[in-house]
Amino acid sequence: MYYYVLESPSTRGVRQNYQRLRDILTHLGIAGEIVTSSPARTPAEQAYIGTTKGYSTIVAVGGDAHINEVAMATIGRAVLGIIPIDASRQVTELIGASDMKSAAEALKHRRISLQDTVLIDPDLPLFLNAAIQTSKLAKVSLVIDNKVRAHAYFNELVVTRSLEVKIRSTYVAEKRKILGLFSVGGEQIASESSFHGKQIKIITDPPMPLMVGENKMADSPLTLRLVPESLKVITKRGTVLE
Amino acid sequence: MKPNPNDGASGPGTIVGVNVALSGTLKDQNDIAVYGMVDGQVESERSVTVGQSAQVKGPVKGQLITVAGTVHGEITAHEKLEVLETGKIYGSIETKDLIVRSGALLSGKVTMGTDEPAAETPEPEFKEEKIAEAAEPADEPASETKAETTPELTPDEE
Repeated sequence: MYYYVLESPSTRGVRQNYQRLRDILTHLGIAGEIVTSSPARTPAEQAYIGTTKGYSTIVAVGGDAHINEVAMATIGRAVLGIIPIDASRQVTELIGASDMKSAAEALKHRRISLQDTVLIDPDLPLFLNAAIQTSKLAKVSLVIDNKVRAHAYFNELVVTRSLEVKIRSTYVAEKRKILGLFSVGGEQIASESSFHGKQIKIITDPPMPLMVGENKMADSPLTLRLVPESLKVITKRGTVLE
Repeated sequence: MKPNPNDGASGPGTIVGVNVALSGTLKDQNDIAVYGMVDGQVESERSVTVGQSAQVKGPVKGQLITVAGTVHGEITAHEKLEVLETGKIYGSIETKDLIVRSGALLSGKVTMGTDEPAAETPEPEFKEEKIAEAAEPADEPASETKAETTPELTPDEE
């Protein structure tokens, strides 16, 4: 029933974690087929193979980028389980478990919640937060639901699976003197904006990559569409019991 | 969203940051906070905050509206409007409850209260007296006076 897709281990510590995980899964009685992604077989390819074999639950074991890739191949085909290893807080908060053992226990209880996803035009799904980051301020234009146009400067732009776009910037106001006596400016000005919609177009100047962890998803300009409640995810406090 | 942002008032609101210039109709079921520039309508089913650095050119609608920046346009606050010391409003205001801090600038018509039609409806007994008083000096037949006022009587009296 469970098909586990492990992230290619980067360190000996991760390999040891995988061995511990096998023991935990066996102990809980939810051991299934376990495969490891590699450059030859990406996480998405491995997950797709799992769905074609008829597994109803594909479990992503690893960090954010790995989980997102597995999710991409799981949407509409199977239920997604997650065992976070070096994953961000958004993942542990989503599933309600921060360690391997409690995540594995959540898998056993199979409480399922429906999660939104985002489709990056033309057909690239996005499950976890993706970001465009730049150390120098860059220009961005947003077109939200074809009704609102927003123009801003940013250092970081984050897209969530609910199609919320958060724009952050920090800049130092230039110092200038008034009447040659008083200095004004020089302070750091932080700005944070948040928009949401069903379709958002993002145009940056210059074009920049949208990343999930270390993985590049696409380059701007981007057209993003919200796909509500499109992915079934096993969480600790799900609302639907399968 | 978390509860889904698209299914009601439980999702995130909208924040227009200080370095954002926005044009179009900004509509949200949740709170809206504006610190940058907006050229267009701002409408929320909850609260709207116009921050000190904000400039809004267009109508602003919401339940609770707080203005610390500049608004060029009509403001409709279904519950309460608060204009802070730094607030500047150039346009008409319609609200039930208005707080204006010292230093604020208002330029426009202010309309408050929505119960006007109900308050104007006189009590039936009082109306009958008025009818009688009015009828006497005119020396007109009572039936004619009654006919003129009939549409204003309550169904019980009819």
